[in-house]
Amino acid sequence: MPTLGELQRAFRRALLEGDEAAVASTLREDGLSPGERLAVYRNNVVASLTVVLKEAFPAVCRLVDERFFDYAAHEFLRAQPPTAPCLAEYGSAFPDFLGTFPPCRHLVYLADVARLEWLMHVAAYAGAPTPLASASLRAVPPTEAPRLVLRLHPSFGFVASPWPIGRIWRANSPESPSDEAVDLDSGGAFIEVSRRDREVVFRDLPPPTFTFRAALAAGRTLEAAAGAALAKDAGFDLTQGLGDLFRDGAVVGFTIADTAS
Amino acid sequence: MGGRDGISGKIGIGLRRPHVAEILSTRPAIGWLEVHPENYMAPESAQGETPALTQLLALRRDYPVSLHGVGLSLGSAEGIDRRHLARLAALADRIEPVLVSEHLAWSVSEGVYLNDLLPLPYTEEALAAVARNVTMMQEALGRAVLVENPSAYLRFRHSTIPEPEFLAELVRRTGCRLLCDVNNIFVSCTNFGEDASAYIAALPPDAIGEIHLAGHFRSERRGRPLLIDDHGSTVAAEVWALYRQALARFGPVSSLVEWDKQIPPLPVLLAEAAAAERIAASMVHADAHAW
Repeated sequence: MPTLGELQRAFRRALLEGDEAAVASTLREDGLSPGERLAVYRNNVVASLTVVLKEAFPAVCRLVDERFFDYAAHEFLRAQPPTAPCLAEYGSAFPDFLGTFPPCRHLVYLADVARLEWLMHVAAYAGAPTPLASASLRAVPPTEAPRLVLRLHPSFGFVASPWPIGRIWRANSPESPSDEAVDLDSGGAFIEVSRRDREVVFRDLPPPTFTFRAALAAGRTLEAAAGAALAKDAGFDLTQGLGDLFRDGAVVGFTIADTAS
Repeated sequence: MGGRDGISGKIGIGLRRPHVAEILSTRPAIGWLEVHPENYMAPESAQGETPALTQLLALRRDYPVSLHGVGLSLGSAEGIDRRHLARLAALADRIEPVLVSEHLAWSVSEGVYLNDLLPLPYTEEALAAVARNVTMMQEALGRAVLVENPSAYLRFRHSTIPEPEFLAELVRRTGCRLLCDVNNIFVSCTNFGEDASAYIAALPPDAIGEIHLAGHFRSERRGRPLLIDDHGSTVAAEVWALYRQALARFGPVSSLVEWDKQIPPLPVLLAEAAAAERIAASMVHADAHAW
């Protein structure tokens, strides 16, 4: 007789890896086979987690069609099952998985569309801290300004792609009426996702602004973020870039880094 | 029972996302609401309220709210996830729920979360593990919790304790209370050819703090019934009959209707709650006559 821990490990392997022998020998036989009984639980696990992924990635599901999505989700959840019960947090690794999943390698834009959807999902579930006014920076001595690290609102996310993923998403969103054609060669995307009131929105940013904001979101200092934006465009206006960020309600806190990095 | 929670004998519904906006705007007469706390826990890095929590706090002003966990894995041999328990306790501090409940089941093994209520062997070893985990949960929350009987599709050869006795012993060891899901009793007993009435008769009446009602899916394998607890339809006639038996034995316990698959328009769910209310009222009436 297995210990409880041994039984639970074997049960998990039976559900995710199909290796049923160890559990089957512990089950009472009355009418149904061990495989039929275990299948009820496996179906619950697979179907419920597939629904979780489908709700987070609706445009990806529409792009690949539902049967293929179910197959990809099944492969993903077996390889990378959830590690915590808050399932709104499950799926962050799905875009990378799709990017290396051989059956959809021909859909070169798919992983980036999935990255956009994940950021939209995160934005929908993010907290709502109070944005700061730009006046709050007056307390920072000018000598320390280069080492300023801004904390952005948790609904803000940034994704760049060589493909027009914003247009692809709009054409395949749940609300989109028909299969509108998108020209894949119509240019890349520098997208900012955020939440306004209760609605998740995204927009294309000019590349230097994108670089500036994405660097700040990644926790880099003001000096480093400005340097990255100026490397994209020598005309980048830091004062305006910073003012716009506050006007967009994107800044919720700041610290001063020990060293400029 | 008790009546300390203020919802004794009242009928509630499981609050699901498609109904939140309508309930917020129309505030229908509902005895109480029950939610899965996992859907309202802020991301660990979050500051401020999530939109879902803001809505729940607004509803909390008009309705008693119960937290019905599905992810704590009270049956895990490896113990329960302390971080998840801390998040549950933080949410309970915000919501001040009338009831907190979980399941007699496990869902976590070596850190993998399987998102289903998986079956336990009913052994002394499992009883000790569940009792340890329930005690840890109650200490973290500073209150007694309710533990729900699961639906089952298999039984282990090495189980030695009948499920209602296992639950009764858990009550004795931990001081927890029980959430009696009459649909789950019907599903499990039908799947194993057992007597659902005898199951209800074997539960300790004083420990029952809540009753759950829901629909199930009926299938067959080689002429044998296999019921699946999918919460995807109206409550079956046999389950309503068991509900009457449960109320007759347990007294006016607060009851809840759950619907999770093919979620219908709100009025359909409220009609199920009204059906439960009529039965509960008729039982109280019959009681009064008897005395």
